[in-house]
Amino acid sequence: MQLNPRLHDLGREVRGILIALVLIAATTAALLLLRHYFGILRGSILYLVPVMIAGYELGMIPALVTAIAGVFLSGYLVFSPLYTFQIASPQEALNLLLFIVVAVVVSHLSSLAKQHIQIAQKREQEMTDLYAFSRRLAAAPSAAEIFVAIQDHLANLVQRKVVLLGAADAGGESDVPESVRSTVTRAGHDEALEHIVEDANTDTWLIRRVSPRTPDFGLVAVDLGKVTGGELADMRHRIDDALADAAATLERLDVARALNEAKMRSETELLREALIGSVSHELRTPLASILGAATILHNAPALARDERLLALTAVVRDEAERLNIDIQNLLDATTISRQQVRPKLQWVEPIDIVNAAVDHRRRRLTGYPVTLDLDSNLPIVHVDPAQVEQALVQIIDNAAKYSPVGSPIRIAAHPHGHSHGRTVVLSVHDTGAGLTQEERRQVGGRFFRGPRHAVTTSGSGLGLWITKAFISANGGKVEVESDGVDRGTTVSIHLPMSAEEIMPEVESLDAEAMESAAE
Amino acid sequence: MSEIPTSVLVVDDEIQIRRFLRTGFELDGFQVHEAETGAEALRAATMKPSDLVILDLGLPDMDGADVLERLRAWSTVPLIVLSVRASEDEKVRLLELGADDYVVKPFGMAELLARAHSAMRRQLRMARGEPIIKFGPLAIDFAARAVSINDQRLPLTPKEYRLLQILAQHSGNVVTHQFLLREIWGNEHVDDTHYLRIFVRKLRRKIEADPTQPRILLTELGVGYRLVASDPAPVPQPDQAAAQ
Repeated sequence: MQLNPRLHDLGREVRGILIALVLIAATTAALLLLRHYFGILRGSILYLVPVMIAGYELGMIPALVTAIAGVFLSGYLVFSPLYTFQIASPQEALNLLLFIVVAVVVSHLSSLAKQHIQIAQKREQEMTDLYAFSRRLAAAPSAAEIFVAIQDHLANLVQRKVVLLGAADAGGESDVPESVRSTVTRAGHDEALEHIVEDANTDTWLIRRVSPRTPDFGLVAVDLGKVTGGELADMRHRIDDALADAAATLERLDVARALNEAKMRSETELLREALIGSVSHELRTPLASILGAATILHNAPALARDERLLALTAVVRDEAERLNIDIQNLLDATTISRQQVRPKLQWVEPIDIVNAAVDHRRRRLTGYPVTLDLDSNLPIVHVDPAQVEQALVQIIDNAAKYSPVGSPIRIAAHPHGHSHGRTVVLSVHDTGAGLTQEERRQVGGRFFRGPRHAVTTSGSGLGLWITKAFISANGGKVEVESDGVDRGTTVSIHLPMSAEEIMPEVESLDAEAMESAAE
Repeated sequence: MSEIPTSVLVVDDEIQIRRFLRTGFELDGFQVHEAETGAEALRAATMKPSDLVILDLGLPDMDGADVLERLRAWSTVPLIVLSVRASEDEKVRLLELGADDYVVKPFGMAELLARAHSAMRRQLRMARGEPIIKFGPLAIDFAARAVSINDQRLPLTPKEYRLLQILAQHSGNVVTHQFLLREIWGNEHVDDTHYLRIFVRKLRRKIEADPTQPRILLTELGVGYRLVASDPAPVPQPDQAAAQ
């Protein structure tokens, strides 16, 4: 029933009155039967029975209605003269008056008794709940468990929505109605223990700190529904009790310090990421001028005859390009650590990825004899082409970085495996520094640099970490092999092969084309 | 160049970028005009129409894409977009809005000049209506709908021809996957990039000396394809290419 609650109450009263009238009718029938069979004339006391029943089961108003109806019927049926509403003697009138008083008092007392029993039951239930809550708090091994317990307990208490905010593993502000959110934000910053605010549906929300002493425990927002002043005070009192218990437990577990540290850590991390992002972007604009100018100088007729000057312009150009690559890596690393790597999958020719990567590192590979060994019949793969290319570029950079100039680098693309779990493998094989067992185990960790190279070769230790992050986001994996120190390294990217279903469709498409060509 | 120098309008709010672009274009024989803002660019394009526009996306007064859209409402001037690390989706959007090509900052001047000349050549050819276009050993005769490689006639299916024809019409400049798919297979197939992958592979086997090392039909990863002519690479043997 979605009726207005007042209308709902009225309906309940009307029903109670109807039931009371039925009770009166039944009592009257019983009275008439008693009179018929046993000749009892004075039975007005019988009317006290429906009054008590109505008072206990139906409430005050039906009980009063019953009492009044009982008085009238007694006057009609019991007090002489019979079968009129008139009263013969003052004695009789006094009797009737007495009956009225007794009826009203009885109706009131029975209604009150019922209320008291209900309150007692409710209190008992609350005590049981609170006891269960304390036991749950005592047994909670972590802050997260305690917050869940608080949420469950309060939700049970108010039978409406309860949202925990601002503490670890708690629900978000999105769970709070729009109209309450600004108060929540304010409550998160000011000193006040609690705020009371109405939402758009005129429901009252209580927003209160979990602990008056420790702001880090966050806030709790409780939807109290439509409450009167008295109910509100009562609710606040009980929520206070529950939270006091919970806050004590949280403090016992020293949760505050842990929460605070986690918050500091994430804020520092965020600041650093934001700084890297904006600095990288700001660096690119001047870099564009430097690189552009260097390429013009390098091809300028005025410099064409002087080898030494040409070599210098090449230095400016190449270093600017290297800086650009470093910036790109920082940006990629930021994206990865923010967990914002979201591959945009499309069908890609694997050979195109290899060619693009080699093309982007053409200058870096100058001086290294590069062999390309590409299978022209590879299935197409469903990946983010830019991310896989960026991953491969890192491996090519590493191959050139850790191999002496002049040593060959082989880049290959081949299918791998049988029927199930088949992959397309893009691999880079160099004959350079190789890896020790220990290095092979650690390589690919963020900022890991082999100690043998840390001094002699510059690098950030991000390259293979970026490769691994991008490839695993695309559903593939990276393998690193080496026969040992100075015996070269092979790094392979395995991309999932899923082209089986897609091939026949395209083949049939081409068959159509062939037919129309034959016409 | 002709007696009237070719003119280029450089739109970028960074003075250093405009400076090197001016020098780069002037050394290549261009007459250079500059604009710092989107509004200035639109005014300059109207008052003094140039033969080429270089448009930076990060302008102080309006989004470069808006400038492009407004310009394209009435002008077909060859236009190259400059941007700092645009995503593949962004590149595609700019090309669909009517940019002839894009170059990502930072870039080398040679790369920008190559893109610019391609865009202008295309414009010129459209004006003249050249019947035959050559890409190294590859010749496409639009009138006869015939394709040959080293003067040997190349048998192509209608869709293969259509693909090659569209790329040739945009010779040197990138054509997006979406555009190709829409033109060849229709609107409902704009996301079926696998169609293109398979057809491009077939076409490469016919026109490239080494299909794994394409020199004519190049991939612009995640964006589209371009057909290029500047190929001093070895000339493929026609029987070999066709036989594969």
